[in-house]
Amino acid sequence: MLSRAKNLTRDENVNETSTQDARQQEELLWVETSRFGRLQVAADKVIAMTAPFLGFPGSLRFFLKPHAEDSPFMWLQSLDEPDLAFVVIQPAVFNAEYRPQLNAAVRADLGISSESDHEILVILTIPRGKPREMTANLLGPVVLNVARRVGRQVLLDPAVYDPCWPVIAAEKQK
Amino acid sequence: MLILARKIGEAIAIAGDIKVRVIDIKGGQVRLGIEAPDHVAVHREEIYQRITEENRRAAEAPGDLAGIDGVFGKGGPPVKK
Repeated sequence: MLSRAKNLTRDENVNETSTQDARQQEELLWVETSRFGRLQVAADKVIAMTAPFLGFPGSLRFFLKPHAEDSPFMWLQSLDEPDLAFVVIQPAVFNAEYRPQLNAAVRADLGISSESDHEILVILTIPRGKPREMTANLLGPVVLNVARRVGRQVLLDPAVYDPCWPVIAAEKQK
Repeated sequence: MLILARKIGEAIAIAGDIKVRVIDIKGGQVRLGIEAPDHVAVHREEIYQRITEENRRAAEAPGDLAGIDGVFGKGGPPVKK
Protein backbone atom coordinates (compact mmCIF):
# COMPACT_ATOMS: atom_id res chain seq x y z
CA MET A 1 0.00 0.00 0.00
CA LEU A 2 2.71 2.43 0.96
CA SER A 3 4.76 1.61 -2.08
CA ARG A 4 1.75 2.39 -4.23
CA ALA A 5 1.66 5.90 -2.84
CA LYS A 6 5.17 6.40 -4.12
CA ASN A 7 3.76 5.78 -7.57
CA LEU A 8 1.34 8.63 -6.98
CA THR A 9 4.13 11.13 -6.63
CA ARG A 10 7.10 9.65 -8.45
CA ASP A 11 8.45 11.60 -11.36
CA GLU A 12 8.77 9.16 -14.19
CA ASN A 13 10.06 11.64 -16.72
CA VAL A 14 13.73 11.05 -16.12
CA ASN A 15 16.39 9.22 -18.11
CA GLU A 16 14.32 9.06 -21.28
CA THR A 17 15.76 9.02 -24.77
CA SER A 18 15.78 12.26 -26.73
CA THR A 19 12.78 11.40 -28.91
CA GLN A 20 10.76 10.42 -25.89
CA ASP A 21 11.93 13.60 -24.24
CA ALA A 22 10.48 15.66 -27.04
CA ARG A 23 7.17 13.86 -26.87
CA GLN A 24 6.94 14.09 -23.13
CA GLN A 25 7.85 17.76 -23.17
CA GLU A 26 4.47 18.31 -24.75
CA GLU A 27 2.78 16.54 -21.89
CA LEU A 28 4.28 18.69 -19.17
CA LEU A 29 2.28 21.46 -17.57
CA TRP A 30 3.57 24.52 -15.79
CA VAL A 31 1.73 25.12 -12.55
CA GLU A 32 1.86 28.30 -10.49
CA THR A 33 1.77 27.66 -6.75
CA SER A 34 1.98 30.16 -3.92
CA ARG A 35 3.97 27.83 -1.65
CA PHE A 36 6.38 26.16 -4.07
CA GLY A 37 6.71 28.65 -6.91
CA ARG A 38 6.40 27.48 -10.51
CA LEU A 39 6.34 23.71 -10.87
CA GLN A 40 6.36 21.36 -13.82
CA VAL A 41 3.85 18.52 -13.69
CA ALA A 42 3.41 15.65 -16.12
CA ALA A 43 -0.08 15.84 -17.62
CA ASP A 44 -0.71 12.20 -16.77
CA LYS A 45 -0.09 12.92 -13.08
CA VAL A 46 -3.02 15.29 -12.85
CA ILE A 47 -5.89 14.04 -10.71
CA ALA A 48 -9.37 15.15 -11.78
CA MET A 49 -11.74 15.56 -8.85
CA THR A 50 -15.30 14.51 -9.63
CA ALA A 51 -16.53 17.06 -7.07
CA PRO A 52 -14.73 20.07 -5.60
CA PHE A 53 -13.55 20.14 -1.99
CA LEU A 54 -16.18 21.75 0.24
CA GLY A 55 -15.28 25.41 0.59
CA PHE A 56 -13.16 25.44 -2.59
CA PRO A 57 -15.52 25.26 -5.56
CA GLY A 58 -12.93 26.68 -7.99
CA SER A 59 -10.51 23.74 -8.01
CA LEU A 60 -11.02 20.40 -9.70
CA ARG A 61 -7.49 19.55 -10.91
CA PHE A 62 -4.82 18.54 -8.41
CA PHE A 63 -1.54 16.70 -8.26
CA LEU A 64 0.38 15.02 -5.46
CA LYS A 65 3.77 16.33 -4.49
CA PRO A 66 5.92 14.67 -1.83
CA HIS A 67 6.79 17.04 1.00
CA ALA A 68 10.35 15.77 1.13
CA GLU A 69 12.25 12.63 0.28
CA ASP A 70 11.15 9.73 2.52
CA SER A 71 8.58 11.96 4.22
CA PRO A 72 5.14 10.41 4.78
CA PHE A 73 3.59 13.83 4.13
CA MET A 74 2.39 14.81 0.68
CA TRP A 75 0.85 17.96 -0.75
CA LEU A 76 -2.34 17.78 -2.75
CA GLN A 77 -1.78 20.93 -4.79
CA SER A 78 -4.46 22.56 -6.93
CA LEU A 79 -3.65 23.37 -10.56
CA ASP A 80 -6.56 25.79 -10.65
CA GLU A 81 -5.79 27.92 -7.57
CA PRO A 82 -2.12 28.61 -6.70
CA ASP A 83 -2.99 29.14 -3.01
CA LEU A 84 -4.83 25.89 -2.53
CA ALA A 85 -2.92 22.89 -1.23
CA PHE A 86 -3.68 20.34 1.45
CA VAL A 87 -1.21 18.26 3.43
CA VAL A 88 -2.27 14.64 3.04
CA ILE A 89 -0.98 11.35 4.36
CA GLN A 90 -1.76 7.68 4.07
CA PRO A 91 -3.74 6.92 7.23
CA ALA A 92 -1.95 3.58 7.68
CA VAL A 93 1.09 5.59 8.79
CA PHE A 94 -0.60 6.39 12.11
CA ASN A 95 -3.85 4.43 12.27
CA ALA A 96 -3.86 0.89 10.90
CA GLU A 97 -7.51 0.41 11.82
CA TYR A 98 -8.82 3.20 9.62
CA ARG A 99 -10.40 1.40 6.68
CA PRO A 100 -13.67 3.14 5.91
CA GLN A 101 -16.27 1.45 3.76
CA LEU A 102 -17.16 3.31 0.59
CA ASN A 103 -20.76 3.29 -0.51
CA ALA A 104 -21.96 2.23 -3.95
CA ALA A 105 -22.42 5.80 -5.14
CA VAL A 106 -18.78 6.70 -4.43
CA ARG A 107 -17.56 3.47 -6.00
CA ALA A 108 -19.58 4.13 -9.14
CA ASP A 109 -18.48 7.76 -9.30
CA LEU A 110 -14.78 6.85 -9.17
CA GLY A 111 -15.01 3.56 -11.09
CA ILE A 112 -13.88 1.52 -8.09
CA SER A 113 -14.62 -2.18 -8.32
CA SER A 114 -12.21 -3.80 -5.87
CA GLU A 115 -10.30 -3.04 -2.70
CA SER A 116 -7.03 -2.80 -4.60
CA ASP A 117 -7.85 -0.16 -7.18
CA HIS A 118 -8.24 2.79 -4.88
CA GLU A 119 -6.21 4.71 -2.36
CA ILE A 120 -7.44 6.63 0.66
CA LEU A 121 -5.60 9.71 1.90
CA VAL A 122 -6.55 11.89 4.84
CA ILE A 123 -6.16 15.64 5.03
CA LEU A 124 -4.12 16.97 7.94
CA THR A 125 -4.72 20.25 9.71
CA ILE A 126 -1.37 21.41 11.04
CA PRO A 127 -1.46 24.46 13.33
CA ARG A 128 1.28 26.93 12.42
CA GLY A 129 4.30 26.36 14.65
CA LYS A 130 2.62 23.48 16.47
CA PRO A 131 3.01 20.45 14.21
CA ARG A 132 2.55 18.04 17.10
CA GLU A 133 -1.02 19.29 17.45
CA MET A 134 -1.89 18.16 13.95
CA THR A 135 -5.27 16.56 13.43
CA ALA A 136 -6.49 14.24 10.70
CA ASN A 137 -9.85 14.61 9.02
CA LEU A 138 -11.10 11.04 9.24
CA LEU A 139 -14.67 12.12 8.45
CA GLY A 140 -13.84 13.54 5.03
CA PRO A 141 -11.03 11.49 3.45
CA VAL A 142 -9.83 11.83 -0.12
CA VAL A 143 -10.49 8.72 -2.20
CA LEU A 144 -8.45 8.23 -5.37
CA ASN A 145 -8.76 5.80 -8.22
CA VAL A 146 -5.06 5.68 -8.94
CA ALA A 147 -5.26 4.11 -12.41
CA ARG A 148 -7.91 6.50 -13.68
CA ARG A 149 -6.43 9.54 -11.96
CA VAL A 150 -9.77 10.58 -10.52
CA GLY A 151 -10.72 11.31 -6.94
CA ARG A 152 -12.94 13.19 -4.55
CA GLN A 153 -13.46 14.03 -0.92
CA VAL A 154 -15.97 11.64 0.59
CA LEU A 155 -18.20 12.32 3.58
CA LEU A 156 -18.43 9.35 5.93
CA ASP A 157 -20.66 8.71 8.94
CA PRO A 158 -20.23 11.55 11.47
CA ALA A 159 -21.32 9.18 14.26
CA VAL A 160 -18.21 7.06 13.60
CA TYR A 161 -15.48 9.35 12.23
CA ASP A 162 -13.87 12.46 13.70
CA PRO A 163 -12.99 15.43 11.45
CA CYS A 164 -10.36 16.56 14.00
CA TRP A 165 -8.65 13.35 15.06
CA PRO A 166 -5.44 14.04 17.05
CA VAL A 167 -2.65 12.24 15.22
CA ILE A 168 0.22 12.42 17.70
CA ALA A 169 -1.77 11.50 20.80
CA ALA A 170 -2.97 8.40 19.01
CA GLU A 171 0.54 7.57 17.90
CA LYS A 172 1.78 7.71 21.50
CA GLN A 173 -0.95 5.43 22.76
CA LYS A 174 0.21 2.58 20.58
CA MET B 1 -37.03 29.83 -1.49
CA LEU B 2 -40.06 27.61 -1.80
CA ILE B 3 -41.95 27.31 1.47
CA LEU B 4 -44.52 24.53 1.92
CA ALA B 5 -46.69 23.65 4.94
CA ARG B 6 -46.86 19.93 5.74
CA LYS B 7 -48.62 17.88 8.43
CA ILE B 8 -47.33 14.74 10.11
CA GLY B 9 -47.28 11.93 7.57
CA GLU B 10 -47.21 14.25 4.58
CA ALA B 11 -44.21 14.50 2.29
CA ILE B 12 -42.47 16.67 -0.26
CA ALA B 13 -41.28 15.10 -3.51
CA ILE B 14 -38.08 16.39 -5.13
CA ALA B 15 -37.27 15.49 -8.73
CA GLY B 16 -39.44 12.39 -8.70
CA ASP B 17 -37.06 10.11 -6.81
CA ILE B 18 -36.53 11.96 -3.51
CA LYS B 19 -39.15 12.14 -0.76
CA VAL B 20 -38.90 14.09 2.47
CA ARG B 21 -41.66 13.09 4.91
CA VAL B 22 -42.59 14.68 8.23
CA ILE B 23 -42.53 11.78 10.70
CA ASP B 24 -43.12 13.62 13.94
CA ILE B 25 -43.19 17.08 15.48
CA LYS B 26 -42.39 17.35 19.18
CA GLY B 27 -41.05 20.07 21.42
CA GLY B 28 -39.88 22.38 18.65
CA GLN B 29 -38.16 19.53 16.78
CA VAL B 30 -39.22 17.96 13.52
CA ARG B 31 -38.27 14.40 12.60
CA LEU B 32 -37.92 13.90 8.88
CA GLY B 33 -37.75 10.69 6.91
CA ILE B 34 -35.77 10.98 3.70
CA GLU B 35 -35.97 8.55 0.81
CA ALA B 36 -33.36 9.14 -1.88
CA PRO B 37 -31.40 7.06 -4.41
CA ASP B 38 -27.93 5.83 -3.42
CA HIS B 39 -26.12 8.44 -5.48
CA VAL B 40 -27.75 11.30 -3.56
CA ALA B 41 -25.76 12.15 -0.44
CA VAL B 42 -27.96 13.14 2.49
CA HIS B 43 -26.36 14.68 5.58
CA ARG B 44 -27.26 17.18 8.24
CA GLU B 45 -26.22 20.63 7.05
CA GLU B 46 -23.78 21.00 9.97
CA ILE B 47 -21.68 18.14 8.58
CA TYR B 48 -21.03 20.03 5.36
CA GLN B 49 -20.22 23.16 7.36
CA ARG B 50 -17.88 21.19 9.60
CA ILE B 51 -15.97 19.73 6.64
CA THR B 52 -15.88 23.11 4.91
CA GLU B 53 -14.37 24.71 8.02
CA GLU B 54 -11.87 21.90 8.44
CA ASN B 55 -10.84 22.11 4.77
CA ARG B 56 -10.28 25.87 5.14
CA ARG B 57 -8.15 25.35 8.25
CA ALA B 58 -6.17 22.56 6.59
CA ALA B 59 -5.48 24.75 3.54
CA GLU B 60 -3.64 27.29 5.71
CA ALA B 61 -0.62 25.03 6.23
CA PRO B 62 2.66 26.83 5.49
CA GLY B 63 4.72 25.36 2.65
CA ASP B 64 7.77 24.55 4.77
CA LEU B 65 5.78 22.65 7.44
CA ALA B 66 8.35 23.88 9.95
CA GLY B 67 9.04 21.33 12.65
CA ILE B 68 7.26 18.51 10.88
CA ASP B 69 10.35 16.30 10.50
CA GLY B 70 10.57 13.79 13.29
CA VAL B 71 7.08 14.64 14.50
CA PHE B 72 6.39 10.93 14.79
CA GLY B 73 9.38 10.54 17.11
CA LYS B 74 12.94 9.46 16.61
CA GLY B 75 13.40 7.19 13.63
CA GLY B 76 10.40 8.66 11.85
CA PRO B 77 6.94 7.23 11.50
CA PRO B 78 6.31 3.49 11.72
CA VAL B 79 6.46 3.13 7.95
CA LYS B 80 6.97 -0.36 6.60
CA LYS B 81 9.26 -0.31 3.62
